[in-house]
Amino acid sequence: MSGLEVKTVEEEGLRVEVAAGLCESRDERLERVIRQHIERHKRRAAAADRAFTAATWAVAAVALGILAFIVITIFARGLGTALNPGFLFGKPQAIKEGGGIWPMVVSSFYLAALTVAMVVPVGVGAAVYMSEFAREGRVTRLVRLGADVLSSVPSVVFGIFGMVLFVVYLGLGYSLLAGALTLTLLNLPTVMRTSEEALRAVPVSYREASLALGASRWETVKRVVLPSAAPGITTGAVLAVGRIVGESAAVIYTVGIFVRKIPVSPLQPAAPMAAHIWHTYTEGALVSDWMRIANGEAAFLLLLVLALNLGARLLTRALAKKTGTVKGNE
Amino acid sequence: MTEVACGACGKFELEGVNLYYNGFKALEGIDLRIERCSITALIGPSGCGKSSALRCLNRMNDLIPGARVEGLVSLDGEDVYQRGYDVVELRKRVGMVFQKPNPFPKSVYENVAYGPRLFGIKDKETLDDIVESSLVSAALWDEVKGKLKSSALALSGGQQQRLCIARVLAVQPEVILLDEPCSALDPIATQRIEDLLVELKSRYTIVIVTHNMQQAARVSDYTAFFMIEQQGDPGRVIEYDTTNAIFTNPKDERTERYITGRFG
Repeated sequence: MSGLEVKTVEEEGLRVEVAAGLCESRDERLERVIRQHIERHKRRAAAADRAFTAATWAVAAVALGILAFIVITIFARGLGTALNPGFLFGKPQAIKEGGGIWPMVVSSFYLAALTVAMVVPVGVGAAVYMSEFAREGRVTRLVRLGADVLSSVPSVVFGIFGMVLFVVYLGLGYSLLAGALTLTLLNLPTVMRTSEEALRAVPVSYREASLALGASRWETVKRVVLPSAAPGITTGAVLAVGRIVGESAAVIYTVGIFVRKIPVSPLQPAAPMAAHIWHTYTEGALVSDWMRIANGEAAFLLLLVLALNLGARLLTRALAKKTGTVKGNE
Repeated sequence: MTEVACGACGKFELEGVNLYYNGFKALEGIDLRIERCSITALIGPSGCGKSSALRCLNRMNDLIPGARVEGLVSLDGEDVYQRGYDVVELRKRVGMVFQKPNPFPKSVYENVAYGPRLFGIKDKETLDDIVESSLVSAALWDEVKGKLKSSALALSGGQQQRLCIARVLAVQPEVILLDEPCSALDPIATQRIEDLLVELKSRYTIVIVTHNMQQAARVSDYTAFFMIEQQGDPGRVIEYDTTNAIFTNPKDERTERYITGRFG
């Protein structure tokens, strides 16, 4: 019974199908085929979309998870120590336990300030040349190539180069200045490239308006282009500060590792945090609480770098709002 | 030199001007006399070189690598392309308003004061006076007098374009070039700009590029019709005459076809 029914229905369906095929015009057939495919595409695309979204989400989650793992591990081991004023503002000890890291904190900031004071003017100057004055050609290609090569050189190589050139040959000795010069070379490519990006993002129409009013190229750069690019340039500079305070290899060879005095002159040696952490971990066993000190210092350094990155974002947004260069987005 | 009330207006003459972008010839044999204290419209289909011709007048083409001008472009009898000619001075005398309103991301006040500050005016009262009188001339003062310190980017498109005109007026040019100044504006804003131009022509020589023929007919005294024969050819001036003659009695058949809307 039931088999017969099904057959009938099938027959019915087939008959209708055939009838439709026979009497529909070419346009109707095309419309039907296209509609069928659109339907199928819609289903497939939606499924693929979901799958791809899930996959990218998973990858992003892994990246975020690793970051979270690092942050949590470091903070779990050292944040308690780092947030203790006696540790942060305390004097380091040579052989006793209970020493602090204040001279290292000061050294890091001193080194960062010195480096920024050199790398920003040079980097921005080079970027202005590249984006505003140079005609695209062999020279600009060479400069860009040089910057790319320079930025892929490992920092330890810069450290050794800095030691040979600044510490020994120029006789600066282990000093903040030798370190700052080395770090200037290390950070120049990135500062230059981020500044160049920021300058290129300034609309051509601003430059045209200024030039059409009778401004020279330099006046245009000074009064219109640089102010408009300031948010981007500032972000680059703040990120450079993050890299400077986090740099160890280049600093170990040029500034110092176990100096316990707060540096006054840039010609004095010092022990910026990252270098001091390395030293304390590898050779710090003279003080019994070396592990506590290194962990606390690492936690503070991480906190500082995170704050700098966050600060760079906020600063960019605030500056962009003020100058009105970025409207609405980000 | 006998034109009415117009000692300071500038007069341009172009003779046999060719413009090249690298190997590409964009303009050929342009001859134009741009009269003092009048409005000259450059019209023609897209890509016919009318904007390029305009940019020859204040040497904005210099900014494009590979651009080269042949022939004579003279302002009050002086070749502006001669060796040693002061381009900065030229651009001070010949102001320009662009297609898209391009105020600086600064306050309304600072936009207008940009030129005067550039030339070293620091006195607050003088700057205030310049800003006010330029904004009055650009028919914008009443709308912005209460918000001189707020960002120019907050103004409407039409206001921004009038601000750009005020910014040009503040350096007291002799000639004002406008490159399709209304193409990004609505009809009401467009009409305000047109009224303003008619008012300004007693004091300035005005050259306007427009793809809107009605606009050319409404505001201009002289009209030059540009065209390219076919893709890749240089732009040429097909006909140049009083606007009245161009629109009522064109001599060239191509001009007639264009203004009656049969191509372009």
